[in-house]
Amino acid sequence: MKIAVDAMGGDNAPQVVIEGVEKARDQYDDLEFTLYGKTEEINKYLKDTKNITIVHSDEVILGTDEPVKAIRSKKQSSMVMAAKSVKDGENDAVFSLGNTGALLAAGIFVVGRIKKVDRPALMSTLPVANENDGVLYLDSGANASAKANYLEQWATMSVFYAKEIKGIDNPTVALLNNGEEYDKGDDMHKDAYQLLSNLENINFVGNIESNEILTGKVDIIVTDGFTGNAALKAIEGTSKIIMGQLKKALTENGIVTKLGAAIVSPSLNGLREMFDTSKSGGAVLLGLKAPVVKAHGNADARAVYYTIGQIRDMLDKKIVEQVNDYYND
Amino acid sequence: MSEEQIMEKIVGLVSDRFDIPADQITANTNFKDNLDADSIDLVEFTLELEDEFGNEISDEDAEKIKTVGEAVAYINSNQ
Repeated sequence: MKIAVDAMGGDNAPQVVIEGVEKARDQYDDLEFTLYGKTEEINKYLKDTKNITIVHSDEVILGTDEPVKAIRSKKQSSMVMAAKSVKDGENDAVFSLGNTGALLAAGIFVVGRIKKVDRPALMSTLPVANENDGVLYLDSGANASAKANYLEQWATMSVFYAKEIKGIDNPTVALLNNGEEYDKGDDMHKDAYQLLSNLENINFVGNIESNEILTGKVDIIVTDGFTGNAALKAIEGTSKIIMGQLKKALTENGIVTKLGAAIVSPSLNGLREMFDTSKSGGAVLLGLKAPVVKAHGNADARAVYYTIGQIRDMLDKKIVEQVNDYYND
Repeated sequence: MSEEQIMEKIVGLVSDRFDIPADQITANTNFKDNLDADSIDLVEFTLELEDEFGNEISDEDAEKIKTVGEAVAYINSNQ
């Protein structure tokens, strides 16, 4: 299995990318990596070249670059070269921590969509409050406007992923909406509800409201990219504020509070562990001809390592081939 | 390559990409109005033209191509 790595994408690239890749290389004998990026930068951090090839690229796509323009004009960038290598059959999957929009554009325009899949969706794994192993959440922002049949396709593709990668026999799927009743939402959501209800191969359980996203009540939540992104940002912002206020309350109010903080500290660490997203892997662009996976721009080497494990699982279980067979056989 | 050969190739690409029989495609076929193409479809098609005919199409030029006939004329005059 060959993975093309955009070594220059992300806030702490290439260091954390290389550390994560080397950890994964040491763990998995069946993986080969091609690192695309500035050779001299990569060589500063690379300790061992076993199963790792470096391909020099002069350019880097920045977080501020306009996505489509960047992939059209920066053809010698690490991200575009990595994507091109997959298109040309030299590698099997693309991994990047870089500009999400540009990776989406490289995925669609360079790697290409699976025939009959209208649009790929960005699928994230969100932590949940029960014993379940996260909830698959898509589209978390790739398609600001969506048609009902896109959501139908995303549900179908994510069920393949949930079964094969997460080992869930009959994953439950819900539609994110502004109420649980079947007739809630605008026309697109009402149409999506009907399409999902009529799908025989998925276990559609109806609408879900945004206050239940993290409850772990369902295995998969489908939504349009606009709603998906807005809800996700609301969750991130809220949790950041609550954690910040909690920390402030426990550390700034005298000796008694500090003693109390020390007592509850193990429980709070458990909470942190529960919402640790490093192990969940990266966000997958589902619907492309090869796995294209994005880790957070500020991910650490541990998150890089787990995301590579996730890509290996996707290649091993032939997720792309299964989706392709479903739509084109 | 003659204009007829370019037309034949482009009709093949359009037929494949937009899942429409080749005999229903004419020079007047409009990507947005007749094929329901959106911005992503159009960029993908532009990249496909670049791959097929080997020359780069600027964003400004790509925006002016609205029909199959205009695509053929562009390729023919830039080869």
